[in-house]
Amino acid sequence: MTRVSADDATAIDLRYEDGTIRLDGLEQSPLSPSSLQATLPDLEADPRTDGWRLPAGQYAALRAALDGTTAAIDDHVLDLESVAPLASAYELRDYQQTALETWLATDRWADGPALESVGRAPAGVLELPTGSGKTVIALKAIERLSTPTLVVVPTIDLLEQWQRELEREFGGQIGRFGGGEQRLEPITVSTYDSAYLKADSVGDRFGCVVFDEVHHLGGEGYREIARLLAAPARLGLTATFERPDGAHEVIEDLVGPLVHRVDVDALAGDHLADYDIKRLEVALTTEERNEYERNQDVFTSYLAKSGLDMRSGSDYQELVKRSGNDPEAREALLARQRAREIILSSEAKLEALTEVLADHRDERIIVFTAHNDLAYDVSERFLIPTITHQTGAAERREILERFREGTYTRIATSNVLDEGVDVPDANVAVVLSGSGSEREFTQRLGRILRPNPGGRRAILYEVIAGDTSEERIANRRHE
Amino acid sequence: MLTKDLLRVSRAGGGYHPQFAGREHRPLAARVIGTYQGHVGESRGALEEALTELEREADDFKLVRGLAALVDREATFETDAELEPERARRAAFEAAEAVDVVTEDERAMALIRASESLDISADDLETALYADLEERQVLTAVEPRWDPDGLVAQYNLSLAQTALFDATEVRVRSSDPKALISAIKRLRLMYEIRQLEGDVADGADGLSEREVIVTGPTHLFRATRRYGTRFARLLRTVATADAWHLEATIDDRGTEQTLELSDADPIRVPDAEPVAEVSFDSGVEADFAARFSNLDLDWKLIREPEPLATGTRVMIPDFAFEYAHGDFRVYFEIMGFWTPEYVQKKLSQLADLEDVAMLVAVDDSLGVGEEITARDHRAIPYSGTVRVKDVADVLREYERQLVAEDAAQLPDTLQPDDDVITLEALGERHGVSAAALADKATPNHERVGRALVRPAVLESIRDDLEAGMALEDAEKVLEADGLSDASAVLSRLGYRVEWDGLAGGTIVER
Repeated sequence: MTRVSADDATAIDLRYEDGTIRLDGLEQSPLSPSSLQATLPDLEADPRTDGWRLPAGQYAALRAALDGTTAAIDDHVLDLESVAPLASAYELRDYQQTALETWLATDRWADGPALESVGRAPAGVLELPTGSGKTVIALKAIERLSTPTLVVVPTIDLLEQWQRELEREFGGQIGRFGGGEQRLEPITVSTYDSAYLKADSVGDRFGCVVFDEVHHLGGEGYREIARLLAAPARLGLTATFERPDGAHEVIEDLVGPLVHRVDVDALAGDHLADYDIKRLEVALTTEERNEYERNQDVFTSYLAKSGLDMRSGSDYQELVKRSGNDPEAREALLARQRAREIILSSEAKLEALTEVLADHRDERIIVFTAHNDLAYDVSERFLIPTITHQTGAAERREILERFREGTYTRIATSNVLDEGVDVPDANVAVVLSGSGSEREFTQRLGRILRPNPGGRRAILYEVIAGDTSEERIANRRHE
Repeated sequence: MLTKDLLRVSRAGGGYHPQFAGREHRPLAARVIGTYQGHVGESRGALEEALTELEREADDFKLVRGLAALVDREATFETDAELEPERARRAAFEAAEAVDVVTEDERAMALIRASESLDISADDLETALYADLEERQVLTAVEPRWDPDGLVAQYNLSLAQTALFDATEVRVRSSDPKALISAIKRLRLMYEIRQLEGDVADGADGLSEREVIVTGPTHLFRATRRYGTRFARLLRTVATADAWHLEATIDDRGTEQTLELSDADPIRVPDAEPVAEVSFDSGVEADFAARFSNLDLDWKLIREPEPLATGTRVMIPDFAFEYAHGDFRVYFEIMGFWTPEYVQKKLSQLADLEDVAMLVAVDDSLGVGEEITARDHRAIPYSGTVRVKDVADVLREYERQLVAEDAAQLPDTLQPDDDVITLEALGERHGVSAAALADKATPNHERVGRALVRPAVLESIRDDLEAGMALEDAEKVLEADGLSDASAVLSRLGYRVEWDGLAGGTIVER
């Protein structure tokens, strides 16, 4: 709580209310609401409470705007616990240090106000390749600001990883929203989903918010998180800031602009290992081929009949929509899914994998699959531990740990390790049935791009089914 | 509440209308419940396949999935394996690491090695590996809180709530505004009151003249769907009022639509405490029992007979019919709104039991009664109420069979010592019904009405009777010889009764 002039009857009273800043006494103050609206267009009169209101996410901007005026302010917005001095053992590498300083320089409160509990209000996004130590930069940022902080992450894996890391570096209790726990502490880690649900009830409790894999914030619902939190300091982290749908522009509004970028190339050979790519094309078995053709036929005949050509995403949306009440469309959609499943999990891929495993008997291997079924097929066939989104937290931790220490030298996984999870080094990666998404692919590559003690070149196998739509996906990826 | 992908709305005419389920969907609801019940003991994968099959048959897969989603909450799935799967995996993976599994042979070797250390068979180990995967888990129990009607009602409430997920603002008029306002506060929503004018404001429909406009705190800045789930929860309070009307602004993928709901829609809020024990057909049963006892059949109705063993479980049928002339029971179960799978399962369980005759009345609204009857004639269809005649018909079939069996046990010729004996009494003496005696030869007796009479007795009676005698006196003569069925004997001896008033009369020659 910060009282600039507590006893002034004409002071503008600021309070946090369910994801908004409520302003009372604005009309009695020397300021005209319309002049404030020039810098804060979202400032609105609220007939429900007879005052004014602003999205909590614009708190930093509001204080910056008010600070330049003569108005007295009675600010009760933030309700921050004090944080014991934080110190982590990490030493930043040069490029990490540069990134951190660039972010800190974006302070919107450089000219005041200076709140006791949170002195700075930087806002910006850092783009760094996977494996370049984003977490370390964020830890240092939290250390420098020394204010209650919410870290928002996309997956349970990352939630656990961050929690462990924060506990190790800062000690004490780390709060957690997600994975069945809802515990608030000055430093708290949350999934995006939990943050969406809780933001308006805890939005006054943090001076800083860190969005890991910040591109997720572009999702329609998740945007609300940033709007409901009053935290003046905001840090976004990602390996790929730009989104094809342009949603990164929204992120600029909510978290701040992209302030610094570190290229993969700048790190290659230094912190990242080189790698080779081998592409293995396999043929479907006759049975699979027939089943594939049959399903593909159901699908294409429906398209021919219905005038959809699937060249655009909106046609796909239309098909999904129609399937709601048109059994034929539903059947077509199911047929397409089955055709995809056949390709994605063809028997021949397992055979190809057999050869890869035989060629690399003594090496550390990670197998990626696009969906769970194939991950389990691989696991059951080769008795390789697998991690999918169905794998429980304790078991996935154990598997990763055992892979890290070498008890296991092989591991299979579906998409869940795509983002940010610390996957131990491997020299061989096998991508079975990758999908066409650019981000997915680069982040998967990131898994084996880590430095390798032996210094030998890593190798990535890409196994795809020939003469199918999958081949086109793979080609798109290499364009 | 359902997930949004299961929302069914019609946008016909620019509106936004939830597609409520109606009475006609009761059979589908029953089949969904039955599909779950019929898959107890099977894997989720098998259950999913059956539901997908049901989807194909129904014209709306979302309806099937919506109903299933509600029943699924009452279902219990468990892992079925000899060994805890996580342990099995750890052992198998460690062994595989030691063996360095690539080929099938190496795999088998690793499994055997791991199984030896665990003291189970390699096959059991292999099965246990991923027995905890969702689709391999086994449905162990399902206890739906609803009968098909109840499920349809729950579906409708859930559907309306789901439609509100996309609401950005709702406007409510209610006969209980006080409860409404307190719910709004509890849900951390905000409101404004608008006084309505004109016709709508006369309050004649029991609604308040004031409309409550409900929004979320951030509604000022942009229409957000963030508060949709709170609006959905608010609906429970709204719909509890006797009279209510709700209008919601819906953000329908960027297009603004208006959703209207009111007490005229089939939205009912179940009591806070759901009925724990679902008694589907108590009404049907009680009604049946009353009507059955009005009939004078050779069967005694027993309510809630002794439990029957079905495999490792017991089942208590609704009724048993006990045959009056011998140790024989037909069990009777009235199944309201059940499904073919369920009926078949129950019948097949019962088929394992020796000497138990089972009759099942199946609600006709399923439209499968005939099918079941054709497959197993021990099932009889009904709609609304069970027709006693249908049951009696089946009982008579059993009766005919019993009579035939009884008759076969008796000699073809019966020569009782009595001068006069009723068929009932003779049957009882032999432990059979009178009907079982129908084809028996009685060389020493003549069959008169329901009695056997020695010819000498008949002749002696003939001598004691004369035309013009009062009926009352004639009956005394007959009763002296143990004959109660006067009209049959009189008729045999060539007399008829000339009735005088209601009781008295005179016998005259024919």
